[in-house]
Parts: sequence; structure tokens; C-alpha cells
Amino acid sequence: MLSDKNKIRIFLGVLLGPALLVILSVIAFPLLFNFVLSFSNANIYHIRDWRLIGYDQYVSVFRQQLFWSILLKTVIWTLVNMVFHVSIGVFLAVVLHQKFIRGRAIWRVALILPWALPQYICALTWRGMFNYEFGAINLLITKYLHLPPVQWLTSPFEAFLAVIITNIWLGFPFMMVIALGGLQSIPEDLYEAADVDGASKWFQFWNITAPLLRPVMIPAITLGVIWTFNNINVVWLVSNMGEPADSTHILVSYVYKAAFNMYRFGWAAALSVVIFGILFTFSQVFLNKTRATESVY
Amino acid sequence: MIQRFFCKGKRWLSGIKRSGNWPLFPQSSLVARFVLGIATFLLVAGCDRAPDGRTHVLIWHQKIGGERDLFNEQVARFNSAHPDCVVDTLYKENEELRNLFVIGAVAGQGPDIIYGPADNVGVLVTTQTVLPLERVFPEEFFSRFTSQGIVSWKGARWLVADQIGNHLTLVYNSELVPKPPATLDELISIGQRLTKDSNGDGKMDQYGLTWNYREPFFFIPFLTAFGGWIMDADGHPTLDNEQTVRAIQFVLDLRDKYKIIPKEGDYEIADMLFKEKRTAMIINGPWSWAGYHVPNGSMVAPLPINSATGLWAEPMISAKGYSVNSNLPTPKLASVRSVIAFLTSAEVQTEMATKLSTTPVDRAVLDSPAVRSNPTLIASMQQIEHGRAMPIVPQMRAIWEGMRGPYQLVMNGAITAKEAAKRMQKEAEKNIADSNL
Repeated sequence: MLSDKNKIRIFLGVLLGPALLVILSVIAFPLLFNFVLSFSNANIYHIRDWRLIGYDQYVSVFRQQLFWSILLKTVIWTLVNMVFHVSIGVFLAVVLHQKFIRGRAIWRVALILPWALPQYICALTWRGMFNYEFGAINLLITKYLHLPPVQWLTSPFEAFLAVIITNIWLGFPFMMVIALGGLQSIPEDLYEAADVDGASKWFQFWNITAPLLRPVMIPAITLGVIWTFNNINVVWLVSNMGEPADSTHILVSYVYKAAFNMYRFGWAAALSVVIFGILFTFSQVFLNKTRATESVY
Repeated sequence: MIQRFFCKGKRWLSGIKRSGNWPLFPQSSLVARFVLGIATFLLVAGCDRAPDGRTHVLIWHQKIGGERDLFNEQVARFNSAHPDCVVDTLYKENEELRNLFVIGAVAGQGPDIIYGPADNVGVLVTTQTVLPLERVFPEEFFSRFTSQGIVSWKGARWLVADQIGNHLTLVYNSELVPKPPATLDELISIGQRLTKDSNGDGKMDQYGLTWNYREPFFFIPFLTAFGGWIMDADGHPTLDNEQTVRAIQFVLDLRDKYKIIPKEGDYEIADMLFKEKRTAMIINGPWSWAGYHVPNGSMVAPLPINSATGLWAEPMISAKGYSVNSNLPTPKLASVRSVIAFLTSAEVQTEMATKLSTTPVDRAVLDSPAVRSNPTLIASMQQIEHGRAMPIVPQMRAIWEGMRGPYQLVMNGAITAKEAAKRMQKEAEKNIADSNL
């Protein structure tokens, strides 16, 4: 005869079982399988009869010069994007939070649009706009700024810049929405008290708004870093698979190319584990250092 | 149902609290339902026949535009004529098609049939994801096809085609170009005549020629016109030579010296320029002809000969057709056989040839008056005569990737043609070596 406690446990098990099964099958199993694959020789010739070969794929990843340059590029890509996402997002949120702004709801909807549109459509539209002869960007540059047209998609530096510009445009609304939510939870009394004490708006921003936004923004930044670090869509679509000459790849797009263009599954799995390690370490260190999970109230 | 499940669970728990006894009925009902649900799902998922009692045959394909519309019509015709079988189709872009098929088939899944170009065969056979067609069709089935209509490799047949449809040709706007160029010199002179800055703003309003000059596949006709080729008989890259350098330099000259092509030339821009009549000629394949209203307004011609070398600008030629998933369950074999037989039939190929100007691979259709009198098909077949079979070995992937980067760099002006040829060779060799790790 089972006790009530055990019966409850069984019932909860039945309830949680399906969810657990799904999580195990779509997260835990692929992660584990990828880890195993990273120690294998799985490639186009050994896709069915692959075997474990030790650390060879990791050695190959770290020995490749291109890995280090793409890693550096990925760090730059992530940093630049995050700086602009957060600064533009928080700036717009603070502006939209002001009571004197008219039609705030309309502004909010308009500014969220880049985030609401499918990334695929946005990226391809931006790609068209970056065309040397017929793109809107160069037409504006030449017609209104009287500057020479820029080879946005064919020169390595400019192409990377084009991809970053696209992702900044796509990414700031998320930070804006998060910051707006955070601003609404800051008690108005604090600003009133600061006003009574004669504090300037700048002082209020740095001593009230910024510290109280922190608990909201730090997890958002952590997520933003992970998403940006792994954002294959924009890079792949705007630069047309890392063009020119693989110069706009970030690590995750390079993984995709290795796995699905070159069928180097073992190598791509090893690089994926490296990316996982980088992001896992970053998020742990960042969350601990910033004490983001602690309450400020 | 979900609500009922939770309500029942709540009642069961409250029953425990009230009586302290094991409520047998609800528990057994819950578990029984759960097990039954899973069993039903597995049963249905594992069945060859769907709940409607008909055999479903899934085809993944990469047909686009008018070709896809006609394909859907043909499939609908098959479905209405076969009450026991339903063909379902799913479009995927070519790279995605091949990659997802390989991954799916290796995992024992994927569609029953895959439709794509013959150069997919190398990857599909190497990954053992397709069946030899000898296990699907009797020997007499193959006899009605031309040699290019059945793709064989390593002693077996792997793909049965409905067309030869992957070859590049010259498509020209007949209003602007009354007679297509026969030589590369003529191509340049016509291009120069038709490249115009009509409003004098310093920007060209019309170009003589355009094509996707960022893709090495579109570079092949120029490479062959100068006597080059991508690999030797053993699959080793053969790119670091004078022929490649001259071919690259020729493409560069078209842009920088003769100025008859746009500064940037990806597929979408080239396609748009030709459709908007802002370029007189384009290099593109049969998949694009319907969009260019061939033969009304635009005409097809073979790519010109290089009078300096006496060689034709030969594009790669490959068939497009159907292969069968190696995981195909035996009970489905008959249905798959009848689907492919219909979709490669003389009737279907005739319809495709007349409506889409695709080049048939059925001998009888190829010799029919409808095909022999069609000017577009005549030009297409001339091009096929002056083309080179696309290698289907898996090294092709590595070579394309090796060529792409240096080709783009040289078009940017970052490296010279000589350096590009050297890098193409080096990167192709490295990619082949890496593929083995």
C-alpha cells in the first residue's frame, strides 16, 4: 500500500513526465550527442560508421588560424552590437517614459517594429539596401552627403559593418522594451524626493534610474550577449553566407558552414562545444560579478 | 481533453486526502489513457498508410516559379487518378534540400523521394541515403531515357531525370539584341553598344550584360572558354594554371575595362536588372526562362565561342530528377515506382518541354516534332552539346567552397587574378583534406 506522499509523487511524476521527456529529448539528448560527436570522425565519408577518435577535432579547431580571427570578430560583433542595443534601447525607453511625449503608444509600436518583423525579411531587405549601385544606402550617401559610394557587400570591413548595422537596427527594440518595463517599476517617490533635494536629471538618471534598472537589464544583457553571439540569421543572410571570402563569419555561422556545406560534423560539433564553453563561462562569470540575481529593494 | 485530465487528477488527489485509499479507477484510467495515447501515436507514425487509408508519398523538391506551378498541376492529376495513393510535395531551396535530406535520411527519416540536380548524387550516395534505382525499377524502365537522363555512379543508377535543366545559357532581350553574339568579342562589342548612361548623371541606366558573378558556378563557362577545368579525372583540383588566370582576368575586364557589367552582380540584382529591361543580356539557366517570358520578348542562345582559343564557353550540364530515400519501407515501393514513372513519363516531359522549354530526356519526346521545332529548345540543346557534364563526386563541394572566396576577393580588387588562381587551388585542396577529418 502506497502512502499519500508517494501517491502525490507519482501523480506529479505523471504530470511532469511529458515535459521532462520533451526537455530530455530536445535539449539534453542533442547536447550530449553533440558532445559525443565532437570526439568523433563524423564527416561525409563516415556519417554512418563514425567512431570516436579522441581530441583530434578540438586540436584541429584550435590550430586553425581562421578560428582565432573569427573568434576575435565574434567578440567584436557581440560587444559592438550590445553597446548599441543597450544604449539606444535605454535611451529610447527613457525618452518614451517621459510624460511630455505625445502619442507614446504609437512611438512604442513604431520602435518595436524592427523586432516584430521576421528577421529573414529584414535581413534580405537590408542586403538589397546595401547594394553598391542600386541600394538605398549608397543612393543616400551619394545624393545627400556627396560622398563616394561604399562597397558594402564586397569589401571585408564594409561587409562586416553592414551586418553590424543591420543587427543593431534589429536588436535595440528588445532592450527598449525591457528597459521600459523596468522604468515603470521604479517608484515615482524617488524622483520626487530627488527633485525636492534639487538633484539634476542627469544625477537622477545615474543615481536612481541606472541602479534600479540594473536587475532588469543584466539578465537581458546576458541573454542579448548569448543571442547576438549565436545570431546566425543576420550574418548568413546579409552577407550571403559569410561573403566576401568568409570575412564576415562569426563562430556560429562558421559552424553551420562546416557542418552543412562541408559535412564536417565532428569538427563542427567540436567548435560548437567550444562556443558553448565560451558562453557558459561568460554567463556564469557575468551573472556572479554583477550579482544580477540579487534584489536591490 | 487536457482540462479533463487535470480535473480528474485533482479529484483523484482530493480523494487521497479524503479517504487515504488508493483510488484505483482514476489511476488506471489515467495511465491507460497515457499508454494508449503513446501507443496510438507510435502506431500511426510507424504506419505506411495514413489514417485515410491511402499511401502517402512525400517528395521534397527545389522546383521554382512556373516549373513548380506545373509540377503541382501534374501531382494533382496523379492524385486524382490514383485513389489509393496521395503525393505530398514540399519545396526546399537546393542547399537546404540536400542537407536536410541527408540528415533526415541518416536518422531513418526524410521524404520518400528527393528531386534535385545530379550533382547532389555524389553526396547522397556517399552518405548512403538513396537507393540504387535497380532496386526500384525493372531494367526495361531505363531504356526510354537518353544517357544523360539516368545518372549513374559507382556502377549503379541513382537518379532518373525529367529534364536536363542545370545548364547556363545566354538569354537576350530580342528588342535590344536582334542577333545574339557568336563570339566573346561580339559579346563585348554588343555589350559596349548597349551599356548606356541615358540621363548623363554618371551612372549607367542600362548594361550590356549581367549575371551572378559572385558564384563560381557562373564562372565555369569563362573557365572552359580559356581551356580550364576544375578537376582532373581523380577529383584533384586543377585551378592554379594560366587558363584560370586568363578566365578571371577576362571577367574582370568585362567589368573594369569594357565596363559592360554592373559593379556588383549577385543573382537577385542580375535577375532584377534583366526583368526590368535594364540589361540587354543575362547568363542564366532554364529555371529562369519562364520569368523572362522566353520566347516572347527574350530569347535563348548558346554562350559564345572564344575566338582567341577556338573554345566554346561551356557551362556545366546536369540532369535534374528523382532519387529514392534508402529508408523507403518496402510496402511503399510500388507507390513510389508509379509516382516516379508518372513524373518522368513522356506525357509529363512533353508538357514540360512545351510549356517550360525544358530539355526532355525521354528519347521519343526528344525526337518529337514539338521539341525539334521549338526555337528555345533548339538553342538549349545546342548549349547542351557545347557543355561539360557536371562532376558528381563529393569533392565538388570542397572545390566550390575553395573557389568562392578567392573569386570574390579578386572581384573586389583585393588580389590579382594570378593570386586568386593560386588561392583557389590551395583552398580547394585544403577543403578536400579537411573533409576527411
